[in-house]
Amino acid sequence: MALPPFGDYILEVVAPFLESVAPYMPGDIFPYFFTLTLLQRALIAAILVTMVAGFLGCFLLTRNLALIGDGLAHVSFGGIAVGIVLGGMGPLWYALIFSVIAAVFIHELQSREILTGDASIAIFSTGMLALGLVVLRLEVSFELPLIGLIELSPVGITNTVEGYLYGNLYLLNPDDLDLIVFISVISFAILFILRHGLLATTIDPLAAKIQGVPVRVIGLVFSILTAAVVVSMVKIIGALLVTALLVTPAATGQLVGRSFRECILYTQLFGLSSVLLGIYLSAELDTGGGSMIALVTACMFAIVVISKAVIKSLIKRNENLN
Amino acid sequence: MQSVTKDADLSKCQCPLIVSNLSVKRSGDLIIKDINLSITQGEFVGIVGPNGSGKTTLILTILGILKPFTGDVKIYDQGPGSKNLHGRIAWVSQAAANLPNNIRITVRELVRLGTMKGFNLALRNSKNAEQVNEAINMVGLQEYADTGISKLSGGQRQRAVIARALASKAEFIVLDEPLVGIDRKSRNALLKFLDELTHQTGTTILMVSHDITAVRRSTHRMIYLDETIQFDGNTEKFPDLDIIAELRGIQPVHEDIHTTVSSDCQVCAEEE
Repeated sequence: MALPPFGDYILEVVAPFLESVAPYMPGDIFPYFFTLTLLQRALIAAILVTMVAGFLGCFLLTRNLALIGDGLAHVSFGGIAVGIVLGGMGPLWYALIFSVIAAVFIHELQSREILTGDASIAIFSTGMLALGLVVLRLEVSFELPLIGLIELSPVGITNTVEGYLYGNLYLLNPDDLDLIVFISVISFAILFILRHGLLATTIDPLAAKIQGVPVRVIGLVFSILTAAVVVSMVKIIGALLVTALLVTPAATGQLVGRSFRECILYTQLFGLSSVLLGIYLSAELDTGGGSMIALVTACMFAIVVISKAVIKSLIKRNENLN
Repeated sequence: MQSVTKDADLSKCQCPLIVSNLSVKRSGDLIIKDINLSITQGEFVGIVGPNGSGKTTLILTILGILKPFTGDVKIYDQGPGSKNLHGRIAWVSQAAANLPNNIRITVRELVRLGTMKGFNLALRNSKNAEQVNEAINMVGLQEYADTGISKLSGGQRQRAVIARALASKAEFIVLDEPLVGIDRKSRNALLKFLDELTHQTGTTILMVSHDITAVRRSTHRMIYLDETIQFDGNTEKFPDLDIIAELRGIQPVHEDIHTTVSSDCQVCAEEE
């Protein structure tokens, strides 16, 4: 499926700026992220994805849904594997379909109290990851009415597949960027519009319902958004590491922020600095981009936690810590 | 603030809440039955009753969260949950105990959520900001407006949640156990505040509590609920503890029950 070239629109606007700051960037390889079109795309995608993921993550944390991102990422890997094997539209589209359907099911299972807690997340994430791994090694051929003969040959865990698992900034193609821009912009806009409603339904769903806030609809829309954002992140940071950008910056922001607004702003600060630092380090040290970004977010969290504890124990000796 | 004087209200005789022949089933069991009730504008009504007597069930049915098995609820001539009621009714849950601790949200941010009405999710206009400030001032939390709710005491949290209800400019406020988990001073201040609210703005208040003494000393009218309404009337006419005990079928455990009761009452007197 082809979208309008959203990526190119953004690239046109942002590229001159990136090129102008390139000379001030440190390192040998990192500046190429500001000059080479291929890497500019990767940088733009990473930044966009981080902003949306951080925003979304703030709500995920307040809703105690930190692990749903991880679950949906596993599901989208299942979709990607099916996409790689079947071909046709790009694997990310398969991932989007799989992930949205799973998100809706998980939401319904939870809100109808058929399965409480995160059991439904566990079932979907392992089930779909397993499907992906099986499909990648399957060798069958069968005839489907209307579609015709389908022949599956084993793909195995190739570089492409690994790129989806651990993220690979160098493998991002223009079509992927189009999808990422599309998902990011729409998700950001919807989250922005729904932000008060999301907060109200999290804090006191009953009071929100009496005020006339469409609690169920907001919950469902939020689940679908989460699924879409996770899919947009898979190529950047990898299915296994999605939570690092979704939850860790938001958790770090919560440590520092005093109001919800401040939490959201700090989350952006921590998220964006982690991504830039992560890309820089991975480029210079030639490690995987996704894993380095994830490592940096975790380190940032650790530094903030420890320094907060140290500062508190030094300055406010006589106060209780909670 | 839209204040309705009591005289105008009486001439119209518009009851904000009319409950007729209501019975409600939950999980197959009849929790409350044959409830008939009408509340007039500006009344401060306390619903008391033992655990499991159906207090919360009644409230949730009035608010349209639970469906009646038989009978009918009308609020401002609308069915519960009707669109026209959004913003007219506010609900104060047992928030001191229920507010999630993992959310960094200030009192102002919490109160602002009260101004949300239906699908109208945009909150940022000056009128709302004014309403929010007014509500915070009314409950006396000005100093704490920008403090995180997780740093407040139980009583302050309860007031913050009430401010949230006030910010909606609701004419009908329903409170579920607002006295749980708050200290003596806050409790007294809260009851006084609610009473003033009914007198000054004509807000109708329905409060559920198991604290019979507190309700008895503050509300205008008391309803004793135990499956059905056992007592409904002026607070002063609310029966003695002994009569309630008989009503509930509580057998005296000690022979000299009266000494226990009198010492209890001393405690009550000291508290007030």
